[in-house]
Amino acid sequence: MSTTTIDRLRDTELSYRATLAGGALSVFLLIALLGLAFPSSIWGNFLAILTSRSTLSSALRLSVPITFAALGGIFSEKAGVVNIGLEGLLIISAFTAVITTAVVGPEMTVVGLPAIWIGFFAGILSSVLFSALFAVVCIRFKADQIIAGLAVWLIALGLAPFAATVYYGGVNTDNLGTTLGTWTIPVLSDIPFFGAFFDADPAVYMMLVAVPASWYVLNRTAFGRHVRASGENPKALDTVGVDVSRVRYAGVLLSGFLAGVGGSALSLGLGQFVGNNQTMVNGKGFIAIVAYLFGNYNPIGAFGASFLFAGLEAAQIRLQQVPGYAIPDSLIQTIPYVTVLVVLALVGRTRIPEAAGEHYDTGDDNR
Amino acid sequence: MSAAENAKAVLRRLTAASATERILISFAALIMAVLVGAVIILVSGRITTCQTAATTLFGTGFCYDPVEVYLVLFNGALGEPFLVNSPGILKPLNPNWNPLNFGFALTLKETTLLIFTGLSVAVSFRAGLFNIGTQGQLILGGLATALFSFFVAPLLPSGLVGGLILIPLAIVVGALVGGLYGAIPGALKAYADANEVITTIMLNFIAAQIAFVLVSEFYGNPDSQVVETTPIPDWATLLPVAFPQGGDFSILALAFGLALVVAVWFLLEQTSFGYDLRTSGEQPEAAEYGGVDAKRTTVTSMFLSGALGGMGGAIWVLMVMGKWQAGVPALGFDGITVSILAGNNPFGVVPAALLFGTLKSGSLAVQFGTGVPKQLVGVLRGLIILFVAMPEFFRMLGSTIDLEPDRETVATDGGRLGGDDE
Amino acid sequence: MSTAVHLDEITKRFSGVVANDDVDLTVERGTVHALLGENGAGKTTLMNILYGLYEPTEGTVHVDGEPRDFDSPADAIDAGIGMIHQHFMLVDPMTVAENIVLGNEPRKWFGTTVDRERARQEVIDLSNRYGFDVNPDDAIEDVSVGVQQRVEILKALYRGADILILDEPTAVLTPQEVEELFRVFEELTAQGKTIIFISHKLGEAMHAADDITVLRNGKNVGTVKADETSNEELAELMVGREVLLEPKAEPQEPGDEVLAVQHLSAEDNRGIPAVSDVSFDIREGEVFGIAGVDGNGQSQLVEAITGLRTPTEGSISYKGGDITDASRRSRIADGMAYIPEDRHERGLVMDFDLVQNGILGSQHSPTFAADGRINWSDARDHAERIIDEYDVRPPHADADAESFSGGNQQKFIVGREFEREPDLVVATHPTRGVDIGAMEFIHERLLDLRAEGKAVLLISSKLDEVQGLSDRLGVMHDGELMDIVDPRNTTEEEIGLLMAGERPNAAETDAEPPVGDAK
Repeated sequence: MSTTTIDRLRDTELSYRATLAGGALSVFLLIALLGLAFPSSIWGNFLAILTSRSTLSSALRLSVPITFAALGGIFSEKAGVVNIGLEGLLIISAFTAVITTAVVGPEMTVVGLPAIWIGFFAGILSSVLFSALFAVVCIRFKADQIIAGLAVWLIALGLAPFAATVYYGGVNTDNLGTTLGTWTIPVLSDIPFFGAFFDADPAVYMMLVAVPASWYVLNRTAFGRHVRASGENPKALDTVGVDVSRVRYAGVLLSGFLAGVGGSALSLGLGQFVGNNQTMVNGKGFIAIVAYLFGNYNPIGAFGASFLFAGLEAAQIRLQQVPGYAIPDSLIQTIPYVTVLVVLALVGRTRIPEAAGEHYDTGDDNR
Repeated sequence: MSAAENAKAVLRRLTAASATERILISFAALIMAVLVGAVIILVSGRITTCQTAATTLFGTGFCYDPVEVYLVLFNGALGEPFLVNSPGILKPLNPNWNPLNFGFALTLKETTLLIFTGLSVAVSFRAGLFNIGTQGQLILGGLATALFSFFVAPLLPSGLVGGLILIPLAIVVGALVGGLYGAIPGALKAYADANEVITTIMLNFIAAQIAFVLVSEFYGNPDSQVVETTPIPDWATLLPVAFPQGGDFSILALAFGLALVVAVWFLLEQTSFGYDLRTSGEQPEAAEYGGVDAKRTTVTSMFLSGALGGMGGAIWVLMVMGKWQAGVPALGFDGITVSILAGNNPFGVVPAALLFGTLKSGSLAVQFGTGVPKQLVGVLRGLIILFVAMPEFFRMLGSTIDLEPDRETVATDGGRLGGDDE
Repeated sequence: MSTAVHLDEITKRFSGVVANDDVDLTVERGTVHALLGENGAGKTTLMNILYGLYEPTEGTVHVDGEPRDFDSPADAIDAGIGMIHQHFMLVDPMTVAENIVLGNEPRKWFGTTVDRERARQEVIDLSNRYGFDVNPDDAIEDVSVGVQQRVEILKALYRGADILILDEPTAVLTPQEVEELFRVFEELTAQGKTIIFISHKLGEAMHAADDITVLRNGKNVGTVKADETSNEELAELMVGREVLLEPKAEPQEPGDEVLAVQHLSAEDNRGIPAVSDVSFDIREGEVFGIAGVDGNGQSQLVEAITGLRTPTEGSISYKGGDITDASRRSRIADGMAYIPEDRHERGLVMDFDLVQNGILGSQHSPTFAADGRINWSDARDHAERIIDEYDVRPPHADADAESFSGGNQQKFIVGREFEREPDLVVATHPTRGVDIGAMEFIHERLLDLRAEGKAVLLISSKLDEVQGLSDRLGVMHDGELMDIVDPRNTTEEEIGLLMAGERPNAAETDAEPPVGDAK
């Protein structure tokens, strides 16, 4: 086959995503233009919302769980295990983080570590344990990855409210009265608008580090290459003497770790776990999956997509506070979900790793 | 007979046994889920606080006794046939037990609803489509039924005649709306290749919000503090007949559900369309080869699945609530468990729904009787799916106990059964 | 000369099935050793044992005189063994260099990071040393199969392999690429490497090997020196009886046109052009063969004809009507039978029993399903008839397709398609994986269909098969139909050149759409 056709194909693929991203940008610009032209109209309000520092600030905060879950999803799926249970990992870590903090005592410190940070790590640990269970079920016991992922989600969805009820008598936890707080970097935080980057939840900083770090691990380290090979052609990896199962376990556990950071940050940012209906996670794990598909498995792209979805959420929340428009709040709340749906329909033809979702057998019948 | 043929005969026996094996796996999964549930009950019994320990193991007191919890659960689901509070392992029969009791009605109510959602999920899973959206289809189908009944009821004579006209129509409307809502992810899958797991989950959120807005802003009951529609007149709902104590169970609805089970079985196993659907689910490439229009089958299957979910919503409205109310129970998600437990087989859905319905209705008695929150069922729901999903686990368990002959694949060169005769 | 590999009384059983039976094999250092045998003779199993993929049930592996017990390929690699599998073990989206160093990446910065520059340089040095022509930065999915094979060899050499095992290395190559490969063999042995290659083509073994070991039914039936043996001796060793005659079609006057393909182009799944401007026709009572190395557009061409792929350009007419846009279902209903190349994916639903598989494609036909309801008792009779007539073993209609061996699966598919009473049979690799008896039977049935006046489109990578059965033979290369030749008056070498994409200077046929030349 000629190289040029493949190049052309890649170009269209690329330009396709670029068009999509460009589309989002032009909608933004259109709103900006309309807002500038008619400052007292609804467009003016939109513009004010989109350009306010507090919207950026909340968009960053809201993108934390989605981005971390998306990064986790990339490692898992690149290694060949489709982790549809990210939602469950977020739920379990969000809950564990709060309840651990509560049990330790929100005001306590243990060996110099404030309780909230103990809760933070406990949340991560719970997510890692859940992902370990998922990994064993998928890799060792060859379960269907989609069904096992759904099970992880549903178990977490049942377990968190159950445990909350056992402890608190209701599906929501009490408010801890404390949160992760904000880390403010002097001077830089005074910059208008972009100062939001330097006056943020600690998890936001972690996210800003985790995104490039994930990219680096995936693309520049031997482990990253093994992860990619394990998802594309596990046999190729096996025959050069790398243990495919080990790489896949590592990928899934890493996804548990990352999703755990996201989940802990989500609940501890608020100081409470909300457990009714779909819990406070409310589909963020699934949105994360769309985010990394949209980002074409690139951590940076996934972050961009997460930020887009979170930005919509932030704008939506702010929009509800604007008086005078007869749009019901619940309807506005569907905006992020509808957007996710549209994006998924448009990027449906993403090239997923060749062997993702398949069991890998070493082929030796002696084992 | 050559060695190869010998080995193949063994394999053939095993594949022939696969139906039995599936049933065994479902039971084993149920037992495993119940066991893990017991551990969770024990552990949560350490988290909560109580005056006296309910049970003591290894010198440690626990607030909840799992054995008692499950005993209360089954006893409650059946309307207390046993006197569980009496001492001893063997509990005496309750002399006042009546099979037509409230607890059992509750179980049958759950069972009836789960038959619909279980069938909904089963149809899509058989077509190879992971419809997680039964919940959303149920929400909107139920709302459509409630609104249709409410608006059309005044136009009809009240009483039996009106009910005979209105109830079937209302169910059809619920099915249609649920079906159309299910067709959306079907079309997205067929024409835009969008993964149906994600789209259906997103559509669940959207359905809940849309229904909420419609009822809270436009069609709500002005006299009510909660988000709900105005109740449908009693004659247009499915009323309990045989169960004097109530419990929102209508034998008619159950009969309808069972009829649907047969209908779905017939459709899947006896018709050309069912053949197309199953082939698409088993092996899409082979279906295409066999002349199946993949896109159309996808959309049609999802419509059917959604219609069954919508009917579930209609039955929920007509049999249980008499109106639509926000905070619809997670029957759609339970349907996933029921279908998976049933091996996606329509006939299997009935016992699976009964088992899971028992768990659900018994959980109320558990919360009342032992203090263990009813959310326990939510945990079991996921655990059952998890265990059914890993048949390999039970096979390994089985082979350690050495129940089965070696399950190795017959192979010479390639090691792949069904490969070239190399 | 020292011994590189000595396999001592190796036996390998899979749940009672003996794949290797007490096999001894000795390979001298610096030589090319061919492992010859029919499909199923146990060649690959034996080599997988040497490579540590399987553990022998009995017997010992000696490498360089030392007894070895390999638990995994990693151990074999450490002992200086490299294996190039029939299906390449390469990661498509990664580059040549990334693939070669995979699992053994040179690192920098305290081992945290892959040293990409050094990896590139080592690959360049290595390929220069053995005279390979590969670009380290090309993605695997962009390079030809021949280059991919060289990448596989480099991969083994990079890991310090002294002994290279190649499983059916020529199966995917054009005759010219095969020559190139054998030159590489010479270069490698000249530098002291030892090569073992698996083949079922005795000509290749004679041509490229120093020593030849023949396996039959898992047993070593003889090791001979290539220059001390003859084709006849090898053939007898392989088959254990007189070699079968190639099938020959009696000349026959073809009738009316059944299928006409006009200027047909199609793309593959990735949207890359795979068939370009192909035209030919098939008449009643005619077998039209298509030869070519696998992956040169045959699959896409067949899919376009059978309705599984929408062509980008051109038209297809069938029995006088245009069917370019007709659905797959209507084509089946219109008497088009199709033996697909991948029976596991397309031809059979593996979890269905044979009763259900017997009506695949006919599930809407009035024969089995009046008013949309399937008559399962008719379907059962049908399946049992196929099983009986086509000798499907074991004769159990209720067993899942998965439980049958590949050959029996194929016989069932062939039976189902032939029993459709078709006007056109599209047969892709109809005898792939079946034993010799079944192969003869399928060939006979194909010729029967031809005698009954049916049209047959036969696609096979077995040159002798298409050459022996076809009335006219098209040769495909890189999506193009290079030429249509008379198989009875064309040599294998001439076809080989066409398969490699080289047109003879004096083209016998016009470039225009050919018309039946048998008049």
